[in-house]
Amino acid sequence: MALKGLDIFKLSPKKNCKECGSPTCMAFCMKVAQGAVELSKCPYFSEDAIATLSEATAPLMKTIEFGNGLKLGGETVLFRHEKTLVNETRFAVSIDTKMDAATVDAKLADMAKVDYERIGERMYVEAILVSNRGTDAAAYTTLVEKAAATGRALVLECWDVECAKAALEVCKAGKPILDGATPENWEAMNQVATAAGVTLGVWANNISDLYDTVKNLEAKGNKNLVLDVTAATAKETLANAVNVRRTALKDGDRSFGYPSIVNLTRFAKNNEHLQTAYATMFIEKYGSIVVMDQMSYAQALPLYGLRQNIFTDPQKPMKVEAKIYPINGADENAPCCLTVDFALTYFLVSGELERSNAPVNLLITDASGMSVLTAWAAGKFSSSTVKKFFDENDIENKIKNRTLIIPGKVAVMKGEIQEKLPNWHVVVGPLEAVQLPKYIKDKEYAGAVEAAKAEAAARAAAATPAEEVKELSFEELLETKVPKIEVVDMGVKYKGHNPEAKTFVTIGERIHCISPAIRKAMDERDPAPILKRAAEQIAAGATYLDVNIGPAEKDGPERMMWAVKLLQENFNNVPLALDTANKKAIEAGIKVYNRSNGKPIVNSADAGSRISYIDLAAANDAICIALCSADGIAKDNEERMKHCHNMLERGLSLGMTSDDLWFDPLFLVVKGMQDKQMDVLNAIKLFADEGLKSTGGLSNNSNGAPKNVRPIMDSALVAMAMMQGLTSAIVNPCDLRLMETIKSCDIFKDHVLYSDSYLDL
Amino acid sequence: MSFAPKTQAFNAKINAVTLGTGDKAVVLGGQNVLPFYTFDAAIENAPKIGVEITDTAKEWTAPGLTEFYAGCETMADFAKKAETMEGADFLVLHFESADPNGANRSVEDCVADAKAVAEAVTMPIAIMGCKNVEKDSELFAKISEALQGKNIVVLSAREENYKTVGASAALAYGQKVGAETADDINLAKQLNIMMKGVGVAADSIVMNIGTAAVGYGYEYVASTLDRVRAAALAQSDADLQMPIIAPVSADTWGVKESVATEEDAPEWGNQEERAIGMEISTAAANLTGGADAVIMRHPAAIATIKKFITELV
Repeated sequence: MALKGLDIFKLSPKKNCKECGSPTCMAFCMKVAQGAVELSKCPYFSEDAIATLSEATAPLMKTIEFGNGLKLGGETVLFRHEKTLVNETRFAVSIDTKMDAATVDAKLADMAKVDYERIGERMYVEAILVSNRGTDAAAYTTLVEKAAATGRALVLECWDVECAKAALEVCKAGKPILDGATPENWEAMNQVATAAGVTLGVWANNISDLYDTVKNLEAKGNKNLVLDVTAATAKETLANAVNVRRTALKDGDRSFGYPSIVNLTRFAKNNEHLQTAYATMFIEKYGSIVVMDQMSYAQALPLYGLRQNIFTDPQKPMKVEAKIYPINGADENAPCCLTVDFALTYFLVSGELERSNAPVNLLITDASGMSVLTAWAAGKFSSSTVKKFFDENDIENKIKNRTLIIPGKVAVMKGEIQEKLPNWHVVVGPLEAVQLPKYIKDKEYAGAVEAAKAEAAARAAAATPAEEVKELSFEELLETKVPKIEVVDMGVKYKGHNPEAKTFVTIGERIHCISPAIRKAMDERDPAPILKRAAEQIAAGATYLDVNIGPAEKDGPERMMWAVKLLQENFNNVPLALDTANKKAIEAGIKVYNRSNGKPIVNSADAGSRISYIDLAAANDAICIALCSADGIAKDNEERMKHCHNMLERGLSLGMTSDDLWFDPLFLVVKGMQDKQMDVLNAIKLFADEGLKSTGGLSNNSNGAPKNVRPIMDSALVAMAMMQGLTSAIVNPCDLRLMETIKSCDIFKDHVLYSDSYLDL
Repeated sequence: MSFAPKTQAFNAKINAVTLGTGDKAVVLGGQNVLPFYTFDAAIENAPKIGVEITDTAKEWTAPGLTEFYAGCETMADFAKKAETMEGADFLVLHFESADPNGANRSVEDCVADAKAVAEAVTMPIAIMGCKNVEKDSELFAKISEALQGKNIVVLSAREENYKTVGASAALAYGQKVGAETADDINLAKQLNIMMKGVGVAADSIVMNIGTAAVGYGYEYVASTLDRVRAAALAQSDADLQMPIIAPVSADTWGVKESVATEEDAPEWGNQEERAIGMEISTAAANLTGGADAVIMRHPAAIATIKKFITELV
C-alpha cells in the first residue's frame, strides 16, 4: 500500500524551494505517495525522517491477495461510516476428504449454479475450502486437483505438513491460501508456504496463542498471513474476530493486522438457516473469508445483497448500469419510463413499476449515480444526456412504442426532450414513485400521449422547409438575441472592490435558477426579480454576485450575456461568478464582462468530468473555483489534496497564477456528515499552508436545520474556517449575523483597521 | 509474551424498557456494550423476538405459515397459536388493513381484535399501525385505552404525530411508545427530545431508526445503527439510549426475493426458502447492528434467530 502523502508532508522540510521540480513541498509529497517521484529527489529530507517514514506509514492492516486477484483486508476503520470499508467479505464452500466423490461432485455442481449479476457485480462463490481430515497426501491432492479444476480460488485447510506440501505442488500457481499453521507446526508450515510463495493461514486454540504464533512467524520474516479466527462456538469466534480487528485498527498493533477466515462449518455444521444468520453477522463483523457448507440462492440473495450494501463507499453513490430494463415482461411495444442511475432510485422505481403488473420499459440513464433533482441541477440529467443515452443504446430501433414518461420532478425538461426526440411522445409522470403503480395500471398517461401526438401532428403540418441553422458568433448573438439593458435606479450602489485586498470575499448566492422566481425571470428575460435580489445582496455587502442560469442547454450564451450586462450595467460593474454547466455560456458571459472591479469567476471546475473548466478560465484570464472532488465527495483529505494538486498543476501549466484558483473543499451538511466537518476545516488549513486561496458553499453545513439556527451555525463555521485560512465563501449576504461575523473576523485577522463603526462600513 | 485483549465496556447504558406484565413480561435493553460483545461485558438482557400477526394473516400463502396457523380464523386464534411458537417473546398485531388508502378497516374493529387478543394471551403485545399518520394516531389512542394496564407498546409515533400519540398512549394510558424515523440519526435524537418534551418518560420510549431488507439500501440502516449505538454508549447521549425494535418481516416479505414465484424465477429455487433467508439475514443484520428486538413472521426463521441469539449471549 502506498504511503500517505500527508504523513510524508509532516516530515518534509516545508521550504517550498522548488528544487525538486514541484511547485510546493506538499505537491512533491503527494507525488511521492503516488509513486510518481522518488523521495530522494528532495535533497532536504533528513535521514531520520526517511527512516521514520517507512515505519510510521505502513498500513495498520495488510492487504492480502489470493486466487485470481481477490483482495482481502486492507481496512482502515472499524465502522463503514467512519470512512469506508475496502475489501468485501469473500465466500467459500467447504469440501473435505471424508466426503465421497459423488458428494463432492454434487457440491461443486451446486456451487456453480449460483452465478449472477447484481448492480454491476458478479455474484458467485469465489473460493473453495478443501479440508484435509487425516488422509494421505495422494487422496488430499486428488481432492485439491478436483477443486482447482473449477477455477475458483482455493483455501487449503491442512495441518499436515507433508500433505500440504504435496497439495501445493499441484495448485500453487492459482495462489491458494494454506490455512495450516498452528502453535505446534508453524515453523515447518512456514517453510512450506514460503517455498510455494503462498499466503499462510494461522490458527490457534485461543487468541493469546494465535498472537504468539503470528509474532513467531513475523520474526521469521513472514508477513503474508491470514488469521483463522474460528473457535468452537459462534460466541467465541465473534470475540476473536472483533478483538483481532480492534487490536489492529484501534490499538495500532500490526501483528493482528491481517485478514480473517471464519469457518461456519465448524460450529454450525449442516444448518443452512443458522449459517445464513452467522454469515450475515460476519459480513458486518470482520470476516474476510466466510466458509459455508454450501451456497444456495436462498442464502446468496440476502448475503450478497447485504455485502454489496455494507461495502459501498458511503461517500460515493451506488449506481446501476444505464440501459433498458424490461419490467413485467415488457417487449418493444411497451411504454417507456425514464429515470436516473442512482441505485435507490432504480430500486424504488422498478419495484413500484413491478407492482403495476403492466409491462413497462424502464430506461435508466447515466447520471453519475445522483438522484433525479440533484442530477438535473448538476447538468447530469438533461435533454442532451437523455439524447446521448438514446443514441448510444439505439433505443429508437429497439423500442417501437413511442410513449416516454419522464419523472414529474423534472417536468421542466419536457419541452427540451421533446425537441431532441421529435419522434417520441414525451409525457410528465407522477412526482413520487409510489404513485406509479396506479398511473401505469390505469394508463393515466394516455391523455397526455394523445395531446403530444396532436402537437406533433400540428408541428409537422406547420413545418416549413428546414432553414439552414447557422451557429451565430457571440457578437451576432449579442446583436440579435440579447435584449437591450435598461438601467434602473434601485437605490443601491456597488461600492467597488480591490482585487488586491486581503479582506474576505463573499459571493452572493441568491441569483440561482433553483429558485422558481429566478428561473422564470431568466426564461422570460424579465429584469425585475433579478435586479431586486442583486440590490439586496449588494446592499448587504456582497463582494461578488453569483449568477446561476441553470443548465441552459439551449440558449446559454445569450442568457448569460444578458444576465452579465444586466447586473454590471445596473450596479457599477459588480464582479460576478458565472455559474452554469454550459461552458459556451460562461465564455459568452466573459466576452461582455467588465473587469474594473475584479476578474470574472468561473463556477466551477472539479478534478473529474469538469476539469476542463480550468482550461476555460485559463484561456479567458478568469478566476476558477476548483472543487476538490471527482466523482462524489472526497473520502479524506488525502484525496482532497490529490484533487487540489491535479487542478493546481493543470492551471499552472496553462499559465494561470495560483491566486486565480480558489479551492473548494466542499462544505458538508452537519445533519448527515457531522463527523466529517473537521476534515473540511483541516483541508482549508492545508490549502492555506501552501498559500492557496479557498472558497465554498459554506451554508451547506446547516442545510435542513431550523431557520433560526442556521445563521448561528453558519457564523460559527465561518469563524472557524477563517481561522483556518478560508479566503472566500459563497453565502447568502442577507444573513446579517453571518456578515457581521465575517467583518469581525477580518478585524481579528488584521485585514481591516478597527474603528468603532467597522460593522457599518 | 502473552496477549490479553483490551475490553471496552462503556459507562453509559441502553435504557431497560419493560413490555407486558407478569411472568411473560420482557425487558429490552440494559447493556453497556456493543451488540453481542459479551467479551467486553455481560449482556444484561438478550435481544427479543416479536411474532408478527397481520390482520390479513389469513391470506398468507407460505406453506410453513399456513401449516403452523392451520385452523386459525380470528386474530385471537393466530395470537394464541403464535404464543406457542419456538422463540416467541412477544406478539405484534399489525393492523395493515386500517389504511384509509387500502381496506380502511374501522378503528372499532381493530380495537375489538386487540381486546380479543389481549384476553386470549399472556405474552406482551406490540401494536403496529398502517403508516397513515392520522389513522394511526386514533388507532393507537383507542387501543391503548382498551388495553390499559397491559403495558403494550405502540409502533410508532412519527415526527407528524408524536404529540397526539405520546399524549394518549404514554401519558393518558401508561403504555410504551415507539419513535420512528427513517435512517436519520439527527431526527431520531430530535424526536426523542420532543417526546420527552411532551412529558413521555425516557424509559417509556423505544426506537425504530429505519428499516430495509438486506440488499435494499440496508447500508443506511447499518450505519445509522452503528452511529446511534456509538452516540448512546461512547458519547453517553441520553437522547439516544432508547432500545431499538426493528420490524423486519414487514420489509422482507415484500421484496422480489420473497415474492417472485418459482415460475417467475426458476433458477432461484424454492420461494419459501428465499423468504426465510431474507428474513433471517435481515434480522441477524439488525441484531448485529444494535436492535434489541426484531419483529419476524416465519416459524423457521424465528427458531433460527432464537438459536442465533441464545448462542451469542
